[in-house]
Amino acid sequence: MLASWKQLIFQILLLLVSCRHINTTSPDPTPPPLVPIDSLPRDVRRAAFKGEGQIEKVELLNPVNLELVCTWTGHQNKESNITGFWRKDGLEIENSHLTVQLENEQYQLQQVFNIVSEENLGNYSCVFESEVKIDFVVAVPQIGEIRDKPVVTYVGDSGVITCKMEDSKPMPNTWKWYKANGTDKEEIFAAAEPQRYEIKNNERKTKLLVNNLTMADSGLYYCGAVYTLSTSMGHVELKVITYYEPLKPFMAIVAEVFILVTAILLFERSRSKKNDTEGDMMSDQTNTLSPGENNGLEGSSSMRQRKT
Amino acid sequence: MPPAAATNLGYTPPDGGWGWAIVVGAFISIGFSYAFPKSLTIYFKDIQEYFAVSYSEIAWVSSVMLASMYAAGPVSSILVNRYGSRPVVMVGGVLVSTGMVLASFGTAIIHLYLCIGVIGGFGLAFNLQPALTIIGTYFQVKRPLANGLAMTGSPVVLFTLAPLNQFLLDSFGWRGSFLILGGIVLNCCVAGSLMRPVNKKALKKPEKTEPPECNGGAAEEAATVDTITQSDNLTEENQKESKSQGCVNRFIDISLFKHRGFLIYLIGNVVMFFGFFAPVVFLAPCAKHKGIDEYSAAFLLSIFALADMFIRPTTGFIGNTKWIRPRIQYFFSFAVSYNGVCHLLFPLASEYTGLVVYAVFFGFAFGMLSALLFEVLMDLVGAHRFSSAVGLVTIIECGPVLLGPPLSGALVDIFGDYKYMYYACGVFMLVPGIFFFIMHYFNYRRLDKERGQIVAVDVRTCEEAVELKTNPDDKAAHDTDE
Repeated sequence: MLASWKQLIFQILLLLVSCRHINTTSPDPTPPPLVPIDSLPRDVRRAAFKGEGQIEKVELLNPVNLELVCTWTGHQNKESNITGFWRKDGLEIENSHLTVQLENEQYQLQQVFNIVSEENLGNYSCVFESEVKIDFVVAVPQIGEIRDKPVVTYVGDSGVITCKMEDSKPMPNTWKWYKANGTDKEEIFAAAEPQRYEIKNNERKTKLLVNNLTMADSGLYYCGAVYTLSTSMGHVELKVITYYEPLKPFMAIVAEVFILVTAILLFERSRSKKNDTEGDMMSDQTNTLSPGENNGLEGSSSMRQRKT
Repeated sequence: MPPAAATNLGYTPPDGGWGWAIVVGAFISIGFSYAFPKSLTIYFKDIQEYFAVSYSEIAWVSSVMLASMYAAGPVSSILVNRYGSRPVVMVGGVLVSTGMVLASFGTAIIHLYLCIGVIGGFGLAFNLQPALTIIGTYFQVKRPLANGLAMTGSPVVLFTLAPLNQFLLDSFGWRGSFLILGGIVLNCCVAGSLMRPVNKKALKKPEKTEPPECNGGAAEEAATVDTITQSDNLTEENQKESKSQGCVNRFIDISLFKHRGFLIYLIGNVVMFFGFFAPVVFLAPCAKHKGIDEYSAAFLLSIFALADMFIRPTTGFIGNTKWIRPRIQYFFSFAVSYNGVCHLLFPLASEYTGLVVYAVFFGFAFGMLSALLFEVLMDLVGAHRFSSAVGLVTIIECGPVLLGPPLSGALVDIFGDYKYMYYACGVFMLVPGIFFFIMHYFNYRRLDKERGQIVAVDVRTCEEAVELKTNPDDKAAHDTDE
């Protein structure tokens, strides 16, 4: 009896454990941070107020504890205490109002932010007295060198699109490719359609090869540099046209050349006919004038024949 | 010995009339020959990505095209000697067009090497040589001007092709652009159709039935006489040439290698071409290296092209004046030395204004040299041997032209700085310039001496002819006695 109860309890426990396991593996829209906050590295960025519209770029790859420090030298008449607070993406962060003391002739505001996922990225601003503001744009490295003109290819041909992360910026973990579908982006899985798509990844460069193009393949393609925190996107347009497009100007130019050549040769033919009739009359006269002299002419054997 | 003909051609070139249409045709042909390989570099980045090759592999397309163009020089000369300029230019235009159209369907980089490089290069060679040759047949008095105007084709066509190529690339990709360029280059056939062979029968020199002026005749011709007439008419070499009808000589004139002026030109040019193109190729990269942004660096090249465009016809005009024309070889030597000095002074330029000044002066130097390059060869060997001469010169220049930029690039890589490369190029141009000055001084002296002998012989034969004419009865009596 006891053994069967033990078995039952054991089974129930097992069931509970597996249920909990199922719960934690279901897809969660905002996964909670699995890493304890304290063990994250600390990254400190400082900025001193220089003027209006000041923007500082903060490039992050991995989760960090980001400490932002703002300093301001204040107005002419410096008060001993002023208020300061923080904003994220234009919205005031709750419980961030602080009273700042004047130390060493300047005010200092600092705050530590846990940057662990994509939603933690954005525009952080420190504000003094609601008038002096410094913006920190916290983001993953953006793809700078990207082609702004469309890649033009032909139906049945293959198209190549490349994306590159500059040497000055950190390397991404991997690359992903998306095709624009209306306003959405659909990821391209090369493994699913190896005949059509091929993705070649280098550390800093990625190449998307699209084979056997059709008109439907035209559109925007997005390359994503994947970092732990987030993916930075760049887009390139692919244009697919038929061979008839360049063929039309080509035929027009060939026609123009043909017309010009024919015109020039006909003009010459008509002029030489006119000259021939005049020339015959002239040469009869010269023949009678100079019967013998033929020293200075080299290679004009035809003349010699005429003269005899 | 026949009296020294001013042209040694047997007819009086028209020096105008249809000659100006020939200049237009030559303008187009020469323009495409020089500018086409340079303008193709715009497509290299896209083609490189498409075929997944390295930059040096794609740069080979340009090198193969340039090498074919120079190496096919003798072939072109032979064909021009046999068939005249017009058919060769038209065939050349069709060849380049076919090459480009085939390349637009290419599926491997080797297709591009063959179609654009070999076929295209041959086609361009068939455009360049005949265009230069036919100017010599139509012009004598105004030849430097005609040459200068025709050579202006190169910068003008380059200036037009560069933005056009960019537009074509953005609209049609590289395949469509090659197809359309194949059509555009077919206009060389239009240029060829303009190159009507000169009508020698209608223009033959008027027969002098009167005994020629025994004293004044030589002086009258001094203004238009070439360096060639002074050497060719009298020397033994000339007599040998007219007799030696070797198989090769019928196609191409190998005996040119015994020609003093030709040898001076050849030796100087071979050294000079090592440092000729490299400064142009490296102007933009050097500017970027000094910290100039990409657009301003590209603008430097535009300034260079504009200066080049302006100075070529001007040089032709100056070369035609009566002070320069008789001693045009010195003008050429000056142009070469000026190039050398320009490059030697280049490292002094540090900021953008210095670079702009250099671009202007270098543009002038480059244009001056280019405008005179073939004019002085015509001046040395004469119009009817020019075709063979230019063929031989281009195939020998093939080496320095191809080796120059990579060697300069190697210099830049070794020293990490562009100034040593510019010093080297400066030396490579200044030394031939001085060489030309010295050798042509001696050459002119020798030619003047020979000319003095010709005049003496002329006066003697002249007097004998006059004697014979005034005493025909004596001669007839003398003959009948025998």
